[in-house]
Amino acid sequence: MKLVASCKVNKQGVFLNSELITGTQTSEPNWTKELYTKSGKEYPKFYKMDALAKLAFLAFSFFEGNLNTEKFADDDITLLFANSSSSKTTDLKYIQSYTEKGSPSPSLFVYTLPNILTGELSILNKWYGENIFFIEEKFDPEFYLEQINFYFSKGAKAVLAGWVESNDSNEECILFFIENNGDKITKEELTNLYKS
Amino acid sequence: MSIFITYGGLITPLGKTIEENFNQMIQGNSGVTIIPKSGFNNEDWPLGRIKEIQDENRYNRLLTDLCDSLINNHGKSIFQEEKTLVIVSSTKADIDALPNDTFESTRTILKDKLHLKNKIRIISNACISGVLAINTAADYLNSDKFDTVVVIGIDALSDFIVYGFQSLFALSNEPSRPFDKDRKGICIGEAAGCLIITKKQLNDHFSVNYLGGSSSNDANHISGPSRTGEGLFRSINKTIERAKVNKSDIDFISAHGTGTNYNDEMESIAFDRLGLNEVPLNSLKGYFGHTLGAAGIIEVISSMKMMEHNTVLKSIGFDEQGTSMKINVLKSNHKQPTNTVLKTASGFGGGNASLILKSIK
Repeated sequence: MKLVASCKVNKQGVFLNSELITGTQTSEPNWTKELYTKSGKEYPKFYKMDALAKLAFLAFSFFEGNLNTEKFADDDITLLFANSSSSKTTDLKYIQSYTEKGSPSPSLFVYTLPNILTGELSILNKWYGENIFFIEEKFDPEFYLEQINFYFSKGAKAVLAGWVESNDSNEECILFFIENNGDKITKEELTNLYKS
Repeated sequence: MSIFITYGGLITPLGKTIEENFNQMIQGNSGVTIIPKSGFNNEDWPLGRIKEIQDENRYNRLLTDLCDSLINNHGKSIFQEEKTLVIVSSTKADIDALPNDTFESTRTILKDKLHLKNKIRIISNACISGVLAINTAADYLNSDKFDTVVVIGIDALSDFIVYGFQSLFALSNEPSRPFDKDRKGICIGEAAGCLIITKKQLNDHFSVNYLGGSSSNDANHISGPSRTGEGLFRSINKTIERAKVNKSDIDFISAHGTGTNYNDEMESIAFDRLGLNEVPLNSLKGYFGHTLGAAGIIEVISSMKMMEHNTVLKSIGFDEQGTSMKINVLKSNHKQPTNTVLKTASGFGGGNASLILKSIK
């Protein structure tokens, strides 16, 4: 496996391959909008997305230039995602829509599933590959390496893996793009990417 | 390497054991009943609600009862082996726990009841979670990391889910009628089901072989199915390739069939593109309602029952073709060789997944 690039997004800014490339200035809750503006992308759907999908979209936008995905067929890339608190932020907002604001909101309800972000990334890229979303207690490099190996052994040419979290204490996303080319990636490498 | 799938357990509105469930199904009985004032504006929606569960945490009770039935069916030791993994498929788990961790009780109950040696894996990928969980179990067995993978699919009824589908105008005001021309939408249900997936065939238990599976995204819309059935078409193609079978080998399709206009139409288009129009097919949503994260698991259990008896069950609620592409939706139960079975699922987020099962001769 070859780690092609990684990108981490949190309130501090955007870290491409562990280097801070863009910081944030506005205080929450507008920092994702600030990063969207800085990304230079024109994708109005961004404003409709929930917190998880926004984070994944931003991280992807800042590192897609390093990926060279054009060489892959439209179903060569597997999306492998996980987090610990599922779609909690949106779940709570959606509950509020019917307990406090009059009626259940359909636009919030459709985001009460964590895997919606893999749908957003698939739509953005017109990728038809395999998708899977796990709930894990914490970021576990061994889990990612194990799953990436499974998908490579089933024929995937690359895996876009991610940890995307949105809850009361934390908003973060780390994406890493891994190609199937024989090298090895260690647990430590992935842990360092997550922590750095 | 061969992979074997054996029944674990099944709790639905139709019964607390696999036998009870199948006996009801073969008689054409549905677990969907009108639940007074279940809607946001006190509408009386038809739902697949388990009557025995009253004023208590529905999810935790369902999971606890499933664990009891697993021990009853298989003893304790299989769950406590070093090389046993549990994978849980659920969309919302213990939604009542919010703002706390909705998956905490899943870990605690399974650990306490089954005394597991390994931490569990949880898949939460909308309505395709169950099929993905079985495919992932096969990955773990193929990699030699585990000898036994216990796959549990579970979701409980909640206002959260019923109000949500109501807000999307996706609920049916009568028991759902997948693929029928008068279908009106979904009925939500609740269930817990379990399969035990192994490298060696378990003695004294009916089992089938798992031949392969895959998933594919529609890359089209987050809550609406593709108009061309692209993701489902691709997933089935890939699954057939991985399973090393021919399309003409498929004896029966356990489709997703939610009962909404768009979903069922999409499925008919995908099956038509694959030339599977004549293959006998049903949706089990008429029996159980749509049980979300449990659906893939409980529908595989039911399909295995059909394989065991070489009897395919009718698709409850289906009377007249209601899709633009002709497909062979079963209007009555009948005996037929049921050796190679295709199971499909589609869900929010544009996900599609499928797998193929084969009888053991």
